[in-house]
Amino acid sequence: MRNYEIMFIVNPNASEEEIDKINGQIETIITSGGGKIEKLEKMGKRRLAYEVDKQREGHYVLFVISANGDIVRECERRLRVMDAVIKYITVRTDEETRRLDKMRNYRQKRAARRGSGASAAPAAPSVEEAMQ
Amino acid sequence: MKSVNKEKRPAGQKQYYRRKKVCKFCVERIDSINYKDVKLLSQFVPERAKIMPRRISGVCSQHQRQLNDAIKKARNIALLPFATE
Repeated sequence: MRNYEIMFIVNPNASEEEIDKINGQIETIITSGGGKIEKLEKMGKRRLAYEVDKQREGHYVLFVISANGDIVRECERRLRVMDAVIKYITVRTDEETRRLDKMRNYRQKRAARRGSGASAAPAAPSVEEAMQ
Repeated sequence: MKSVNKEKRPAGQKQYYRRKKVCKFCVERIDSINYKDVKLLSQFVPERAKIMPRRISGVCSQHQRQLNDAIKKARNIALLPFATE
């Protein structure tokens, strides 16, 4: 199982119900395939940075899921077929979160070591302040 | 002659002194550069929507690489422009 973010843009002329219907379809694909939805966020209507399908606006929807590759492939296929969806992107996030956890751990360890060391602790921040 | 040089040098150096640029992400301890964070990313894309080079922004190489990826993802989903007229 891997973590992904699927973000897609729905045509601005689509109604709330239509968006909910699309979300429902994607949800069933994920859950029936054994995946899990961690978050579903409707980011609302916002301006696009460039024109897509002659549209300058779009409804953004974000899925944060934990699933395997087959489910993601199926989702992408469905999104491609849907007329109301004008753009989508899938990003894998588990590697990034693992890297962040590692960094956070390392930082905590270092902070703990510094706290016990005492003498080195006050010197380091002052250098950084001076650089700013 | 020598003494003149000695006097001139420190002044010359001062004239060319430039504040050392620091990586925004290192200083502010921003670990994750997320493609959805348009406010952060747009600081690094000037009007032409090109990615700001490291030599101007002062971002370190690791963070510049992450920033690059994030900006390109954001462009893909129309959060940031590829180019502006």
